[in-house]
Amino acid sequence: MGDAEQKKHKVLLVDDEVDFIQPLAFWLQFKGYEVVVAFDGTCALQKLREERPDIIFMDLNMPGMSGVEAVGKIRELNPEIPIIIISAYIDEERIKEVLSCGISGVFYKGADFQEGLALLETTLRTHKKLKKTT
Amino acid sequence: MSPLVGFYIATAIISLLIAFFLVAFSRASAQAKLNRDKIKFRQPRYEADEVKSDSREVQDEALRQELFQKVSETLAITKAQGQEAAKLISETIGREVEQKIAAVSQQMRSKYESLIEERAKSEEIAWKKYKSVLTEKQSTDAVIRSVAEGLLVVDSKGKVLMMNPAAEKLLGVSRKEKMGKSLMEGLKDEQLVSLVKDQKDQSGREIEVISQDDETKKVLRASSAVIENEEGQTIGMVSVLSDITKQKELDRMKANFIASVSHELRTPLVAIEKSIALILGKTVGDVPPAQEQFLAIADRNLKRLSRLINDLLDLSKLEAGRMELKKQNLPLEPIFTEVLATLDTWAQTKSIQLKKAVDEGLPEIPVDPDRLTQVLVNLIGNAIKFTPQGGSITLKAVLKKEEGCIVLSVTDTGIGISPENIPKVFDKFYQIGERASTDISGTGIGLSIAKEIVELHGGRIWVESKKGEGTTFSFTLPLT
Repeated sequence: MGDAEQKKHKVLLVDDEVDFIQPLAFWLQFKGYEVVVAFDGTCALQKLREERPDIIFMDLNMPGMSGVEAVGKIRELNPEIPIIIISAYIDEERIKEVLSCGISGVFYKGADFQEGLALLETTLRTHKKLKKTT
Repeated sequence: MSPLVGFYIATAIISLLIAFFLVAFSRASAQAKLNRDKIKFRQPRYEADEVKSDSREVQDEALRQELFQKVSETLAITKAQGQEAAKLISETIGREVEQKIAAVSQQMRSKYESLIEERAKSEEIAWKKYKSVLTEKQSTDAVIRSVAEGLLVVDSKGKVLMMNPAAEKLLGVSRKEKMGKSLMEGLKDEQLVSLVKDQKDQSGREIEVISQDDETKKVLRASSAVIENEEGQTIGMVSVLSDITKQKELDRMKANFIASVSHELRTPLVAIEKSIALILGKTVGDVPPAQEQFLAIADRNLKRLSRLINDLLDLSKLEAGRMELKKQNLPLEPIFTEVLATLDTWAQTKSIQLKKAVDEGLPEIPVDPDRLTQVLVNLIGNAIKFTPQGGSITLKAVLKKEEGCIVLSVTDTGIGISPENIPKVFDKFYQIGERASTDISGTGIGLSIAKEIVELHGGRIWVESKKGEGTTFSFTLPLT
């Protein structure tokens, strides 16, 4: 939490499942993060430009622009931002489709929020180190 | 002198006799020809011998007598001379006739032999053809015999023309008993009649057969096709029978399994739902706002889960044909209000506006209120799912008196359905477009259940959509 205290990291949560996003957002806010939410891919791209988040949590199954498509478009705008995929299944087929776009990890919806947080922190630390070295 | 005179006399006699001979010969050969013609096709091989042995001898004698008389009358010669001359002439004639006959019979024989040879050749060809047809028939028979499906051919009167061993086994009858007889003879099962009667529905139909020896029941699927002749007249029917007893049993087990699992799932669900309801209702004490917010989410999602489980139960009921409507004459307005109220909180989480555009003074119509609610929740729930933030959903009800129905519709401003997917939306387990199985009504059975319920009410359901602009699901409910 040390990092978060110095400067609040901004997390963009993208999922059409409002009832899943709300508790996750609440949990992340409670852990000291600033949270922005988007319910579909189009909205996510808009929030990416406006809010300049540090990391993105992205669901793949959304009506309209799918997560797969959204990840591709995000990479066009920002090739560096870490993306963590939110998946309803551990072995979801669609994850393979986004692997080539460069993703930092997969968070399984059924898992404990603590796991998501751990993944988030590790990803952010690694990303920071990489940024410093380059 | 006397030998010379004798010679002259003899010459004169001989020339006379030759004249007679020619007359006689023409007669004899005519007679021989007649005889030949008579026996030509009966026993041509023995023709020559027969002529020789019977008619020839008789003829010779008669000819000799005639010649002797004529010679004696014409020439005033002695009896001995006459007889000598007659004998001479007769022998000459006999030789000539014999030679002729031999030649003719030789000719006949060679003709006959070539005829025999020809016949033998054509017989050989026929035999070869027969052999190849026989081989072909045998291999076809072998194929039909070894087909695992039962094969049954009946004529237009229902008499069995062909039946393979698989069909014997499936129907529990013997081919020998049934060939040329009606399949129905000695069978009590009336359903088998469909096998031998004209069918309107040519595709497979199911037949239950209780076998004669053991009392087990078999379910057969029979696909039949009418056999027509070149003039298009029905001359029979061919049926392919397959045993689907096991498949039926599995279907039944699956339906039972789904039903029991769904019931088992509902029990703990109800316990959670009731407990949350107690906390949210503040029966057990005060609840801070943040806790209330998350308990509300829990409650909402439990209801969703119940709906999914209900869908599964309904599906098994519909498949088993066990769904019954509890219809009563009711005003629709209160149902609409209730449905919209239930879904409003969900819609609000996505800032979606729920609108109502219902004709005033709608008559009461016979509906099953729970089922109608289910259809509307399904349609509006789908609309919420597929409409982006800030969109709107409109529930419409229009009275169509002349058509004798009320048309209800749910219109959204969602992502729409592409034309190629429209015919599939009411299919069981179908999910629109790229959506996978993680959605709200993610089982893909919501719309097919809605369709079944509408049809059970005597109405119909359809969809109109434009990709990117929105979708309208409409259905009719009859006024009476």
